[in-house]
Amino acid sequence: MLLRGLTWLVLFQLLGTVINVLLLPMLPGPIIGMVLLFVALLVRGSASDSIQLAASSLLRYLPLLLVPPAVGVMVYTEAILEDFWAIVGALVISLVLSLVFTGWLMQLLIRRQKRNKEKA
Amino acid sequence: MTILQWHAAWQALIHHPLFGVGITLAAFQLAFAAYEKTRWVFLQPVLLSALMVIGILLLCGLSYPDYSASSRLLTVLLGPATVALAVPLYLNMRRIRELFVPIVVTLLLAGSLATALGMALAWAFGAERMILMTLAPKSVTSPIAMLVAEQIGGVVALAAVFVMITGVLGAILGPELLRRFGVQHPAARGMALGLTAHAVGTAQALQEGDECGAFAALAMSLMGVLTAVLLPLVVSLLL
Repeated sequence: MLLRGLTWLVLFQLLGTVINVLLLPMLPGPIIGMVLLFVALLVRGSASDSIQLAASSLLRYLPLLLVPPAVGVMVYTEAILEDFWAIVGALVISLVLSLVFTGWLMQLLIRRQKRNKEKA
Repeated sequence: MTILQWHAAWQALIHHPLFGVGITLAAFQLAFAAYEKTRWVFLQPVLLSALMVIGILLLCGLSYPDYSASSRLLTVLLGPATVALAVPLYLNMRRIRELFVPIVVTLLLAGSLATALGMALAWAFGAERMILMTLAPKSVTSPIAMLVAEQIGGVVALAAVFVMITGVLGAILGPELLRRFGVQHPAARGMALGLTAHAVGTAQALQEGDECGAFAALAMSLMGVLTAVLLPLVVSLLL
């Protein structure tokens, strides 16, 4: 069951890579694969148990898979230290402001839409 | 046992093609257990295990390319995991369709803010153009960020580092910040985490629940696609 779902995920990733090389060089293969799988699920009208199992198993360990890329920071310690405060300041302040703004705006719009529906 | 034999065994151990996978798995489980036990935000599992792995590599005298080669088994799964995000997205489609207008408006306004603010602040703090162009795609998932940084004249590998720092910061600070500012709706929390902190934020959002995770995945992918298409265009028109 798990294997069948995993096969589909890998196939869509490979399909995404082919399309990336042939048609869409600005979008990475996995993102194209995700969009294609999403469209396929919409067309099919349901997500099989096997693909749900494979997806939830992989996504459970997503933080683990992100550890190796995060270790890559060690290569750039010098370049980062040179512009340290500019980089940290820009990253932290812009993250905090845009994170709070995103959450606040989204919640505001959700509540407004709900109110409008109740009125109508 | 002679010292020479011990040395040969040590070399065989640290250069084994599974050494990277082994230390990553061990570090991650330790970090995860520490996080579960204390719930202390700075013990964010990705950050803590990355620091542990860096420590081990330095102690063993291994370089990042060594580690990168021996942890391939894990990184190669990032592709299928990205594809897998389509599933929670699909399963929450009904909720997403209901909130279509809020999603599009938030994406356009907050997405532009996240990108422009980072660049403006770095410029104000006196960072050079190369750093600015490398910072621009910081809010999107690293493959897209690396591609975009290259197109607009930034440093590809450094872009991945900024992406990673932003993601880890978002996962550490995000949940608490959102709570302080009264953002309780799972869709809004997911949207904020996925839009500003991409995959690491999405991983955090998945821990909060299905709906939160689905909106984070949605925000992450839309933000990624939008950045990949629009940012090179905007930069070539304005700067």
